[in-house]
Amino acid sequence: MNALRWAWILAAKDLRIELRSPGRAVATIAFVTLAGFLFAVSLDRTRVQPVDVTGPLVWLVMLFAATAGAGRAFDAEDEDGAFRHLLLAPAPRSALFLGKAAANAVLVAAAAAAAFGAFALFLGLRAPGGIAAHASILLPGAVGLAAAGVFFGRMAGYSSLGDALLPALIFPLLVPLVFFGATATGRLLAGRPWPEVTGFARLLWAFALGSVAAGSLLFRHVVDD
Amino acid sequence: MGSKTAATGCAVLAAAGAATLLAAHAMVAFWVPTEASMGLVQRIFYVHVPAAWTTFLAFGMCALASAAYLWLKDERADAAAVAAAEGGLVFGAIMLVSGPLWGRIAWGAYWTWEPRLTLTLLLWFIYVGYFLVRASVSDPRRGRRLAAVVAVVGALDIPLIHVSVSWFRSLHPEAVVIKPDGPTLHPDMLATLLVSLAGFTLLFLGLFGLRCSAGSGRRPAGGAAA
Repeated sequence: MNALRWAWILAAKDLRIELRSPGRAVATIAFVTLAGFLFAVSLDRTRVQPVDVTGPLVWLVMLFAATAGAGRAFDAEDEDGAFRHLLLAPAPRSALFLGKAAANAVLVAAAAAAAFGAFALFLGLRAPGGIAAHASILLPGAVGLAAAGVFFGRMAGYSSLGDALLPALIFPLLVPLVFFGATATGRLLAGRPWPEVTGFARLLWAFALGSVAAGSLLFRHVVDD
Repeated sequence: MGSKTAATGCAVLAAAGAATLLAAHAMVAFWVPTEASMGLVQRIFYVHVPAAWTTFLAFGMCALASAAYLWLKDERADAAAVAAAEGGLVFGAIMLVSGPLWGRIAWGAYWTWEPRLTLTLLLWFIYVGYFLVRASVSDPRRGRRLAAVVAVVGALDIPLIHVSVSWFRSLHPEAVVIKPDGPTLHPDMLATLLVSLAGFTLLFLGLFGLRCSAGSGRRPAGGAAA
């Protein structure tokens, strides 16, 4: 069985668990929706226009949701010692990483869609440029956030600092991703033409694919004894 | 006997670096001409640029040593990575303090969120994370391995910092020494900068060597030295 087949099996297993008992997904989507609500009520619209701040806010909410979710990505296996059994399976470590990252990317993408919807609803924004244009910016962001989250989330799991270590490790690395994404989303929301954001879309995909490639190469050093 | 000789060599190197730095500071204070547009504050350049060079050298060495540790599992590579990361944090702190002092006069603000400054600050934080990982993982062998992974991933920031000035709109001055048509710096300024660069580099390499030999000597086989 090749690595991609293993990755598919692991991702499908994680998503099936999430569908049967959607605690993590529900908590994440509730978090981003409430964050949108809180930003909407706390914004002084006589001084700040929602369209000026929504791009960065959506991306920050995505970052926090992805970080919180990544810290829990291995909880199911860790609780009953199944992670050690997973390591004994004849699957390459890269497949383990890819499977976990893919399942997490689906959750982060759902959180991104919920965040975008919540901000649009509560701040009364439309989506100039079309949903497809926004999705093409948010999707690589979700992939990059999920890959980095799973990689460093597993690392933080071995630390006595636990979830407190995760932001300290991934926030500095994810600043370029959040910067490219927030700028592109902000420009689209401001009604700027697509050619003004294509460069950012390319950089986001480069960052996302680079994160996946680096995670696949290095994950064995994180999990092997 | 061999390690004692090496330690002595490193101490000599560090002393040579300190002496060269003293000479560089004397040149900065009494010899180099004052830059016309910025005045005296431009002299911070002779500390800031060499500190930045040494920081990138140190973090680059840390990443290479960490990659070697992941590949070879040789404890000496890990000792070298730790020594280089410590040097990078110290010289990085000098760079991050001296830059804003210059910026306050040149830009009117201690800090601006322009790409090179931001990415350099992030690089420094990534290597703070390197030590957080080492210190917080109870199994020392795993802690060393995870920290090595952080160092390798963090070093991907270094080329990004280098190209950020040309990729993005940036307030940070462009290179004046390493340019395709040669340096555009006044010859006396260039001489002062090169002496200061040599001093910083020798001091770092000397301290790095001393710290490596001390780290290797203290570490038991498979032991707990963090």
